[in-house]
Amino acid sequence: MLVFDELKKNDPSLRLVAVVLMAGLFILLAGLWWVQVVSAREYQAHLDTQAYRTIRIPAVRGKILDREGRVLAENRPRYNLSLYLDDLRSPFAVAGDRLMKQARAGQKQAIAAQEKKLGRSLSKTERKQFAFTPEQVQKIREQARVQVAGEVVAEISRKMGEPLPFDAAKFSRHYATELAMPFPILQNLDATNIARFQENFIGGLGADLELQSMRSYPLGTTAAHVLGELRQDDSSIAGEESFFNYRLPDYAGVTGIEGKFNAELHGRAGQESVLVNNMGYRQSKDVDTEPLPGENVVMTLDLDLERAAENSIVNRRGQDPIAAVVVMDVRNGDVLAMASSPTFDPNAFAQGISREKYQQLQDLEAEKNRATFENYQPGSIFKTVVALAALENGLNVNEIYHVEADPLRAGHGCIYIGKNRHKIEDTAPPGPYDFKHAFIHSSNAYFVNAGLTHAGIENIVRIGKEFHLGETTQLFAHQETRGNFPTENQIHSGWREGDTANVCIGQGPVDITPIQMAVMISAIANGGTILWPRLVQRIEPQDPAAGGVTTNFPSGLVRDRLMVHPRSLQILRDAMLADVESSEGTGTAAAVNGLHIGAKTGTAQVKDSAGRLIAYNFWFASFAPFENPKYAVVVMVQSKELHGSGGLVCAPIAHDVYEEILKKETTGVTKALALAK
Amino acid sequence: MTTETFNEKYAKLDRLQLMALAGLMLLGAAFVASATTASPFEMEKVWFAQIWFRQVIWYVLGLGAAAAVCLVDYHTLARWSLVAYWAMILCLVAVLIPFIGQTHGWGARRWIDLPFFQFQPSEFAKLAFILAGANFLSRPPDELKQPEVFWQGIGLMMLPFLLILKEPDLGSALVLLPTGLVMMLVAGTPHKFLVRLIGGVGIVGVLFVADVLFAPQHWRIPMQDYQRQRLLVYFGANFAPANASAQERSEARRQQLEKSYQVRQALISVGSGGIFGKGWRQGQQTALSFLPAGAAHNDFIFSVIAEEEGFVGSVVVLTLYAVVLFTGLRIAGQARDRLGKLVAVGVVTLLFSHVFINIGMNIRIVPVTGIPLPLLSYGGSSVLCSLIALGLMQNVYMNRRGY
Repeated sequence: MLVFDELKKNDPSLRLVAVVLMAGLFILLAGLWWVQVVSAREYQAHLDTQAYRTIRIPAVRGKILDREGRVLAENRPRYNLSLYLDDLRSPFAVAGDRLMKQARAGQKQAIAAQEKKLGRSLSKTERKQFAFTPEQVQKIREQARVQVAGEVVAEISRKMGEPLPFDAAKFSRHYATELAMPFPILQNLDATNIARFQENFIGGLGADLELQSMRSYPLGTTAAHVLGELRQDDSSIAGEESFFNYRLPDYAGVTGIEGKFNAELHGRAGQESVLVNNMGYRQSKDVDTEPLPGENVVMTLDLDLERAAENSIVNRRGQDPIAAVVVMDVRNGDVLAMASSPTFDPNAFAQGISREKYQQLQDLEAEKNRATFENYQPGSIFKTVVALAALENGLNVNEIYHVEADPLRAGHGCIYIGKNRHKIEDTAPPGPYDFKHAFIHSSNAYFVNAGLTHAGIENIVRIGKEFHLGETTQLFAHQETRGNFPTENQIHSGWREGDTANVCIGQGPVDITPIQMAVMISAIANGGTILWPRLVQRIEPQDPAAGGVTTNFPSGLVRDRLMVHPRSLQILRDAMLADVESSEGTGTAAAVNGLHIGAKTGTAQVKDSAGRLIAYNFWFASFAPFENPKYAVVVMVQSKELHGSGGLVCAPIAHDVYEEILKKETTGVTKALALAK
Repeated sequence: MTTETFNEKYAKLDRLQLMALAGLMLLGAAFVASATTASPFEMEKVWFAQIWFRQVIWYVLGLGAAAAVCLVDYHTLARWSLVAYWAMILCLVAVLIPFIGQTHGWGARRWIDLPFFQFQPSEFAKLAFILAGANFLSRPPDELKQPEVFWQGIGLMMLPFLLILKEPDLGSALVLLPTGLVMMLVAGTPHKFLVRLIGGVGIVGVLFVADVLFAPQHWRIPMQDYQRQRLLVYFGANFAPANASAQERSEARRQQLEKSYQVRQALISVGSGGIFGKGWRQGQQTALSFLPAGAAHNDFIFSVIAEEEGFVGSVVVLTLYAVVLFTGLRIAGQARDRLGKLVAVGVVTLLFSHVFINIGMNIRIVPVTGIPLPLLSYGGSSVLCSLIALGLMQNVYMNRRGY
């Protein structure tokens, strides 16, 4: 080698030095190769963990639309005023230095005072007692930061003319744990505040507006129960990165459509990474993955009918009655309206609700969807089932049944059943009844007799099973009860005539939900097809231009078919028509000019656990138009009034809904005609 | 005639070494600039007030000083070496006196503040030691066999060593030992002396490390806390005494993390550079101040280069130093007499010690000691001394043929 050759051959010590140098350089080279080539990835990872913070960026939640594309739930921008701490670094440092200087002056004074007291200068160890501990220095720096931040907030507050609270403890906590993120001062600014902020250009102070997306229900309480509630939840959903240093506020659907279709509405959160320096201050920002927006849910609801039903409840029943209305398309099971009262404003949940307000809602059980999530005794509307069972088993519609007079209540009938002649009261007067008369007067005695002598409990239960009473309609997973209906076992062990008599008039072990009733009425109206109710038509991408697939939910899914003769259904429908259109009927209040409605009214007693009467369930179960049924309207009201009835309490609400239906039908026809021209 | 002689002398400079030096200085200016970009304070200054430009000025001054050194034959310089040596000893004593010696907030009294320059006597003491040592050891080899002469040589080395250690500046003190030993070896000091010396130093070193790591409190050698901690960090030992409470233990762990911070960050810088690096001024470690702003352009300049230029950059730096060192050894081999050979060997060993300790510290094969990387680290004293030392070497080369 060049160098070695030139070294004098007879100089072994110089050669030794050369060898040692060579070895030393080789050790360095090997070490560098190990660190920079072999372990490079490990050190790069170290660098990343110390220099990057990841932030979860929520996706824009999908909208919820009615069947005509009208918006029921959307997102609107929300502006938060935040302090960007990286901009405040030098003010923090300056204030910290100033406070430290003061502290040192104080320290000097304390030492001087001590020296004066002792009359000598302090030794090194004695001075040490006055030295600042790292904790003290930290504390002083923190104090300086709080002071600076407090001053900035006060300054902004003064410029905006808006009192802004500053929580020192919260600020310190934020500084310690979320330094790379802006510190929120004021959330959800209104338009005035945004304007004031921008006019006064407060941005120079280290504060700026931060944009967030907020869930909004533009129509307030409309369809609140169907839409459901959100809660603030920023946890990762399936398929997302699970570790983030920081998370921006996000929502998760809990109930209703928001809950059932949360995965679809939610989209996929994106990731942003922030480069931080050794102190943890933000240096720069990078978007790693863009959030994937959630999909829109298009419902079967018709906003006009929904509103008509909700408004009618309020107009007819006043503030916060217990009531539910379901409107269903009898041909395909589409739920066109579903109202529940008392109601709530889902915006309150998305924005954060006050404790008192929440307590109020809790007391009213306002969050409960009464159309699906509560069992109610059907009362006389269950006579439709008894009628079908009796007609199928040879009940002659023209055969006259004489209702006995009740000796205790003048003008009312009754029936005695069993060996010990248990009396069941009737609201209808005594006298001769054929089927139709009995139906429109809702004679208990007639239907108890028909049930006992013609139908028999087995057949009533068979028909009820075919209607799938006692089973959920699977509209909502966690917000639906299945009602109650006697099982085969029940009616074969310890079952008495009195129980059958009770079932015949819709009392005893029979409970239904309004949605079940709507499915049942639809089947009666459409000729015996039990449909799965449908609330969502399809799920489609928010931005059709960006691609993505639309998922359609099939309409008119058949769940079962009623094994009864069409003639029986026709007889029943005729009787229901008479109930509204005959002057003697109980449902006349629902009648609408130009629309033939078939209906059955009902009233059931609500008893508490001690058996005391506390309220009534009033029912109105109907369909229209009679000639070519399209709509089923079921109204349920629970109330304490003594002299109410399904016809008095519920029929007017149904009337309002049918008015709206008629209006839609006629404008629809006009539209269709206009298109045809 | 005079001009011709001068030209002839000029032509006899070791060109290869000069090229390597030029390369190192270019790298030095470029990466001092890169290491200081993170500081907004620094970037606000006009270009000629920035640190990298100050470094360039030091290069120019250093080259001037080196040229001046080359003008006088090294024999003449060696005759004055004892004066320089004792002058530096005086400075080293002076620096220990408060009011004269300045700490600049580092806890060690190493600097004397002159109006234009913070003078670091320990750097110049190394130079003076090389000259004085070479002068002393260049006596006839037979005299070196006398134990008195051997011990005088040891004394010549130990006096500045102890004074620098007292500042304290362990790194600067330590580089004197290999420099002195190698000069003794090359001078022809009997091997038995050297073997004994190295054995003795080795035993003392082992005892010292054992003391730091394992000795109970009152058996320990008095030592600055930070020095002890640096050693503990290097050996990965626990700060906490064996009987410490849980709280003391966690406090010790926290302290250890804090103390090992610089080494860890330097390692992360070097390692994350990978093979090709992130590019000039693209290093994140300095940009985000994970490498402390005060150290990045100084003792840790190598980790900046390694991060930004990767393994390739490291190899370039090592190659440049290798060229300087081996041309230096060649100069030693070609020197006219033992004095010249000893001067050259002394300079080579001194440079090599700096390079090995500094780069070794960046990749954690050597404990952290504040020692600059010759010509690359920012610092007036260091740059001046390195260039003067290399000037001495060229002087030896120029005068290799005799009169």
